[in-house]
Amino acid sequence: MSVTQATPTPGRERKWVGKSIRRVEDPKFLTGRGGYVDDLVLPGMLHAAVLRSPHAHARITRIDVEAARRLPGVAAVVTGAEAAELCNPMPDFGPAPDKHVWRCLAVDKVRHVGEGVAVVVAESRYLAEDARDLIEVEYEPLPVVADPIAALEPTAPLVHEALGSNLAYQRTFVFGEVERDFAEADLVVRDHLRWRRSGGQPLETVGAVADYDPATGMLTIHCNSLTFTHFLFMLANTLKVPANRLDVRPAPAGGSFGSKFWAVKVAAIAGMLAKKLGRPVKLIEDRVDNITNCDHHGSDRIYDVELAVMKDGTLRGIKFDVVDDYGAYIQFGTGTHGNSLAQCVGPYRIGSVQYAVRAVLTNKCQQGAHRGFGSEVTNWAIERMVDLAARELGLDPVEIRRRNFIRPEQFPYFIPSGNVYDSGNYEGVMDTALRLADYDHWRREQERLRREGRYIGIGVISCQERSVFSATEFWFWFDEPAAKVTSAPESVTLSVDPTGGVTATLYSNAFWGNSSDTVVAQLVAEEFDVDPHSVNVVYSGSNRGLPATGPGGSRFTVMVAGAVNGAAARIKEKARKVAGHVLEVDPEDLEWAEGGFRVKGAPDRRLSLAEIALQTYLFKHSLPDEIETGLEASKVYDHPYTTMPSDDRSNLGVFYPFVGNACHVPVIEVDPETGAISYLKYVAVHDAGTMVNPRGLEGQIIGGTAHGIGTALFEEYVYDRDGQLLTTSYMDYLIPSAMEVPEVVVGHQETPSPFTVHGIKGGGEGGRMMTPAALSAAIDDALAPLGVRCTELPATPERIRRWIEEARARGGGTMSG
Amino acid sequence: MTDRHRIALTVNGRPCEAEVESRRLLVDFLREDLGLKGAHIGCEHGVCGTCTVLMNGESIRSCITFAVQANGSSILTVEGLSGDGRLHPLQEAFWDHQALQCGYCTPGMLLRAYEFLQENPRPTPDQVRAAIASNLCRCTGYQFIVEAVLDAARRLETAGAGRGQEPAAPRA
Amino acid sequence: MKPPPFVYHAPTTVAEAVTLLDETGEEGQVLAGGQSLIPLMNFRLARPGHLVDVTSIRDLDYVRREDGRLRIGAATRQAAVERDPAAAEQAPLLVEALGFVGHEPIRHRGTVVGSLAHADPAAEIPAVALAMDAELTAVGARGERRLAASELFTGPFSTSLEPGELLTEAQFTAWPPGSGHAFLEFARRHGDFAVAGAAVLLHLDGGVVDRAAIALCGVAGTPVRATEAERRLLGERPTPAVVEAAAEAATAGLTPVSDVHGSSAYRRQVARAYVRRALALAAERAQGGTR
Repeated sequence: MSVTQATPTPGRERKWVGKSIRRVEDPKFLTGRGGYVDDLVLPGMLHAAVLRSPHAHARITRIDVEAARRLPGVAAVVTGAEAAELCNPMPDFGPAPDKHVWRCLAVDKVRHVGEGVAVVVAESRYLAEDARDLIEVEYEPLPVVADPIAALEPTAPLVHEALGSNLAYQRTFVFGEVERDFAEADLVVRDHLRWRRSGGQPLETVGAVADYDPATGMLTIHCNSLTFTHFLFMLANTLKVPANRLDVRPAPAGGSFGSKFWAVKVAAIAGMLAKKLGRPVKLIEDRVDNITNCDHHGSDRIYDVELAVMKDGTLRGIKFDVVDDYGAYIQFGTGTHGNSLAQCVGPYRIGSVQYAVRAVLTNKCQQGAHRGFGSEVTNWAIERMVDLAARELGLDPVEIRRRNFIRPEQFPYFIPSGNVYDSGNYEGVMDTALRLADYDHWRREQERLRREGRYIGIGVISCQERSVFSATEFWFWFDEPAAKVTSAPESVTLSVDPTGGVTATLYSNAFWGNSSDTVVAQLVAEEFDVDPHSVNVVYSGSNRGLPATGPGGSRFTVMVAGAVNGAAARIKEKARKVAGHVLEVDPEDLEWAEGGFRVKGAPDRRLSLAEIALQTYLFKHSLPDEIETGLEASKVYDHPYTTMPSDDRSNLGVFYPFVGNACHVPVIEVDPETGAISYLKYVAVHDAGTMVNPRGLEGQIIGGTAHGIGTALFEEYVYDRDGQLLTTSYMDYLIPSAMEVPEVVVGHQETPSPFTVHGIKGGGEGGRMMTPAALSAAIDDALAPLGVRCTELPATPERIRRWIEEARARGGGTMSG
Repeated sequence: MTDRHRIALTVNGRPCEAEVESRRLLVDFLREDLGLKGAHIGCEHGVCGTCTVLMNGESIRSCITFAVQANGSSILTVEGLSGDGRLHPLQEAFWDHQALQCGYCTPGMLLRAYEFLQENPRPTPDQVRAAIASNLCRCTGYQFIVEAVLDAARRLETAGAGRGQEPAAPRA
Repeated sequence: MKPPPFVYHAPTTVAEAVTLLDETGEEGQVLAGGQSLIPLMNFRLARPGHLVDVTSIRDLDYVRREDGRLRIGAATRQAAVERDPAAAEQAPLLVEALGFVGHEPIRHRGTVVGSLAHADPAAEIPAVALAMDAELTAVGARGERRLAASELFTGPFSTSLEPGELLTEAQFTAWPPGSGHAFLEFARRHGDFAVAGAAVLLHLDGGVVDRAAIALCGVAGTPVRATEAERRLLGERPTPAVVEAAAEAATAGLTPVSDVHGSSAYRRQVARAYVRRALALAAERAQGGTR
């Protein structure tokens, strides 16, 4: 067990942490010099295009690539069978990697529409696509399994024969006295909920430029994914190169939203081709590739949920029975449910939890990461049930939440699954939101407008935003995990040059749009009292790199703050010794102030950081022997708060400890004739602990809310019964435009974490983790006169319209339209 | 079969002649042949707007325009928006308001906003929202972009409609 | 997603274009704004061997007002029509509908006539052409002919144009004073193709409808003219009940194709609501309300 209690420096105001400075990375993006992976051009570079399967499930009986190979300008055509000789299977963290083998290109059979069956490399992308058209593939269609419930039938076609069924994993966790709580409950509310799959869909797709030097055996892959640098030996294994001959160099990502966390296949294919040809190869997914074959579709869940409540509204216990459609592979195992278990009681004092999960394989693109990583779905399910309980008990949604919130004095609060909520003030967040929303006013307006035949709805929800995962969540699924537990560290090197200029070197592919440069610059500025815009932030390749995990699970800011703080402490320790020597005082008599060390009580006797740095670089022989030349330090910051699960897994330990909270209050109007929604108000109040750059956090909240609106109302990867994907373009997969997103009134509360440097918590996913629950509640509220209940997302206009018709058929009130 | 054509056009105020294959998309011509990486490829079917550039002063999708169709035209890309090492007031406003996160939609968004402010120098927030609805942004939720465009309008008005900050390419 | 190779032609006269289309036969295709065609080519769902770019024919780039008619050439961009004062006077329905065609960057390239020739059943301009009884000019190797919009659309993305025939002009006849127009559509996202849309014109005399035109998009394989509903409106005051009955008549027999944006029944439901709303707005405008 490791727990570090961060102690805020008393009596010292923070100077840079907490300021909404302009982002240090912006000038390059504003001028078209972003340096994205597709901007990279290497001499002699070739371009690749992947041939995708049109079938959801089919045996490949013949591939003829001769015509494609003969086309002038084509350098190579590689089929799945050849790729299987050039490469080992893809890295797979799933439950039984040898039984659901995942390869960069399909071998023998295809398992979903869009899966790659061959790849062409040519002098241009145009020529590569011309040649791709000339490849002849004969498929023998196989029975398709596109429905996760049908996939569980004993007679269902098998996605992976070696697995023997389509059930990749199942387990029922019981935390606390759940049967007692249900037996003692006054009321048990039950519902069947459906959350359909959507995805990150960043405007930039996944890409890689690979370059192989046969003379040194060095394979360099520039890419906009692969943040997890200490797992890159697994990619080296896939590519059959020694791990120390693989260098993955980060390019800024044009958005990720989870989907570039570990999008390893594009890098693998580009690397395979560069190694085969000895020439640089660029592979950039096009939009159809990304939609059909990105390996990062989001959760696709069917829930049966039961919530045990008392007459006074007290929430006692909750049971989840969830089937999750993972698609054709299961690269991260059921990690998305680990995220759920991190906050499976929401912000409430629910005493017991039963969580049954079945992970099912079907003929669809596999799941990966999507902003929230599965916890957003649980937020929605919990809030749907709390709203149902409130309706059954005749309680206002505000009141039932108020009665059940974990109280400020109860932190740190251990939830039944074993995870801890470090700190919070949930009622404070909700009260701020209600005030900003002018809740009472809108309740009156709702009443008035209902009399005019208009359908106004107000949603009030309160959800958790867990942040900073520990790697235990990837192995507590198993009684005997395949590997012992690791950490998920973040690292930084700080270098002070002889003039006092600071360079911060990062080791993960940290830029996804999340202001990693600015965050680090502000943290460094805080440590050294320098202008953040003077800090040079650079990104190391993995080959010379320290272990780092990058963004994901809202971990980056917290973790890099720990790394910067640790590296700065090492630099200051050395600088103190040097300053003490030069000023001829005991180093303990020095104090750090205004960018240097000064003698306590004699503030004019001081040395600036630049003066100290100059000493360390140029005057080595004037310094004590143990002082090495230069002023640089690194810090590998391991997860600060992880505890081990119990052997029987009745307690999963602490694995996601820094837990923010938010309350969203949308006020909407529903057009009962079309099911369309318009906004009258949207309030979002978040508590993500201490804010580093409040404007930046606000941007994440508003952007996440827009993303959540997409999830709640617009976005869906729609597969038909035959496993055909019907939404393969941006004409059909609907990302909201400025006209579909309201102005969001953002409020903040800062409840610092007692366990992190500066008290920071993660904040990048919160918007999307709240909005679906909030809009579902608002839809119900708007259509309450009919008794409509939103049980399926996305709540498209047509679904809303259908619920209205069904409610009307049940005799639920009257309305026009 | 390779059908090639000579084209002559103006890009960011500079004359430019080239021979292009007829099927070459304008975005690829700008990015690969001219090295102007500010026009991005997002969807290649005209929906997302990351490839937006101005042709004769009008915003277009360069991913669904052939380079050969740009013959004789004047093109403005984001690289032409700032001059003499100075950011355009729109770029300054985007920076000040944090109107970008990943930056991928930003060049297209800037050019669309630049065009819009020429047509409507004193827009309302709703008008800005409607105008930029042509371009998707996955990061920001648009709000800070709207604020930045409104602020840029004020700055341009104060600066005498931005004279002295005009990009090299004239509006046709 | 790069287009397959083709030969590009930039004729400067209609005659040259027609000759090229005749010579290239089935391989030849007209390129106008390209805002529908080029995406299809990028997806490699369309593979024309030759593209004949009619926007290079300067003589076809015009918006003219003549004898109460608005004449629009095949090279004229949608945005040019949208901001043309004559178009606003002669065909306010068309101008209103243009605001729903994609977004400004699309309309800067897309053409009015090209949209008619493309014949997307969900598109706005074909519905307007149908409602306004637009007259079209087609030129082929065998000469020039006139056809009514109602004769053009034969199915989804298919028209009665002969192989090698080029649509050179669309004419819209203005409705007299006392008319009201409305184009309304419901799309899931701003700027997208409509789930259903309604193009409506009404003329009132003494508060009574004496002329009506209703066309719908997004609800069938072609844009649809709702003649039965038009007939029911004649001689009636546009009261809510009359308008509702007309909307019901306009949509009752429709069997739209289901897709991811809406099932058949849902599209019909939306169409009914939007015909009603469009009729109400057009009636209000005809009676001197806001235009």
